[in-house]
Amino acid sequence: MRTEAIPVHAVPLTAAQAETMAQLRIKKHHVAIMLLHWFNASVWLLELLTGLALISSHYFRVVPLWYVSIAEGAFGGRANMLHFHVALGLTWIVVFLVYGTFGFRTYLGEVLHKEIALDRDDFRWLIVRTLRILGRSNEPLPPQGSYNAGQKLFAFMIYAMIPVVMVSGVVMAFQLFGPAVVGWAIVAHFAAVGAVVSGLMVHVYMGAVFPEEKSAFFSMITGTVDELYAYSHHFKWWREVKLAQAEWEQRHDRGRLVPTEPAAAAPIAGNSDPEGGQEQTPGP
Amino acid sequence: MSRYAMVTDLRKCVGCEACTVACNAEWSVPAGFARTHVRKTEIAGTFPNLTSGIHVAQCNQCDRPPCAEACPSGATSQGADGIVRVDKDLCIGCAFCVAACPYDARYINPATKKVDKCDFCLPRIARSEQPVCVTTCTAHAKYFGDLEDRGSEVFRLVYAEGARRIETASVAVGPNVYYLGKPESLALVATSFPPRAPRLPAAGEAWRMAVRPLVMLAVGATFLGQAVAFFTQLAKGENDFED
Repeated sequence: MRTEAIPVHAVPLTAAQAETMAQLRIKKHHVAIMLLHWFNASVWLLELLTGLALISSHYFRVVPLWYVSIAEGAFGGRANMLHFHVALGLTWIVVFLVYGTFGFRTYLGEVLHKEIALDRDDFRWLIVRTLRILGRSNEPLPPQGSYNAGQKLFAFMIYAMIPVVMVSGVVMAFQLFGPAVVGWAIVAHFAAVGAVVSGLMVHVYMGAVFPEEKSAFFSMITGTVDELYAYSHHFKWWREVKLAQAEWEQRHDRGRLVPTEPAAAAPIAGNSDPEGGQEQTPGP
Repeated sequence: MSRYAMVTDLRKCVGCEACTVACNAEWSVPAGFARTHVRKTEIAGTFPNLTSGIHVAQCNQCDRPPCAEACPSGATSQGADGIVRVDKDLCIGCAFCVAACPYDARYINPATKKVDKCDFCLPRIARSEQPVCVTTCTAHAKYFGDLEDRGSEVFRLVYAEGARRIETASVAVGPNVYYLGKPESLALVATSFPPRAPRLPAAGEAWRMAVRPLVMLAVGATFLGQAVAFFTQLAKGENDFED
């Protein structure tokens, strides 16, 4: 596909085009991101299950006492549960610090700089998305980058809250800076986790339950999404990928020798890349 | 089951603080802190009818301990024997309990950064020994025993001799430390060193009154919203959502 042939706006696809695009896959996530995601998910699950049971006072408790008893029984006592909670939390912090230090340029830098800034389309998307989930609108979703507005909002929340969770956790684990600071650390820990959890519930629902975004869930396992999903849910990102692909192809076509074999007298317009042959030009 | 209690006979007490010294030594209490406090009241009355008193304070192992209620992590709890104890493994040193104790019987140990207080010498009780403040008392003013045991000395002192607790109308949490003495002297001690209302530090109050309700509201609202979305999805059927 030539650069000019890539549509600027998402135009409706024909059935045949959609069929073909559903078969093609685009790489979405690095393996490092996927591993981190599932590591993070497991840690959060376990930390939530133990953390909830660690609050025992009825002033502050958010789970019933029978749950506290079950959790204590499962861990062979409250102290063990706390040790587990702290040890896993510290492991999580170390993994994130190592990852952040060595992987920042490769994995996080680009995400932070361009992929999570909200634009006009994103605000519109948030409204349309909500209305569509509730069956109140059939308006097409505004075009999105590699992360949609909901994912971006969740990312903002995560970036703001995770340092709070980490720092307050360390303060409590080692009783740093005196009782007053420890007291506020508990409150900060609870509030930050509460904020993350309310976002996390939407995150899990959209990923695992809501049918329209199912591809996003599987992309965290395979690392790829099909082109149809990319086109309809992340058009701006799809276009970026296609542009990059087209430029690469054009650059390499330019460097290619003029075919000498007789067979090549046949059509050489377009390109001979096997993938290129399957590409569709969506649009009229 | 037992309900341990301490009775201090203020008629015998000379205020020598041997109990505090013995306790500090027995439990390696850091300098500047103590689990028992011996305090003297001002002299009251008009000459020649003067009254004064000595107050020997320690953790009261209250029947309804405000400290256990305030402890977020469950480190402070009340055993079946009525003794309020601190599990050092669970304590995170937030000092909510220190603010909650009406008798100011708790402190944060700077060495361990965790809370400490009198527990009637639990390890000694386990060895069938009396608390160290009782055995060391130079005037033999302290009695320790089980109020559930009708034959015990403390039972007799509390229920026959009329040893009294130090509480007020507003702060009555069932202390298990009793005092004997001349009525006017006891009254002076009770009014000079009354229990204060239990409280939470600012952080605990903010957590209890604002942060916890807000978090529950946020999570609850999100859950409700998702329930609506989910049932919409069920009602519509999944195919409608497919592109």
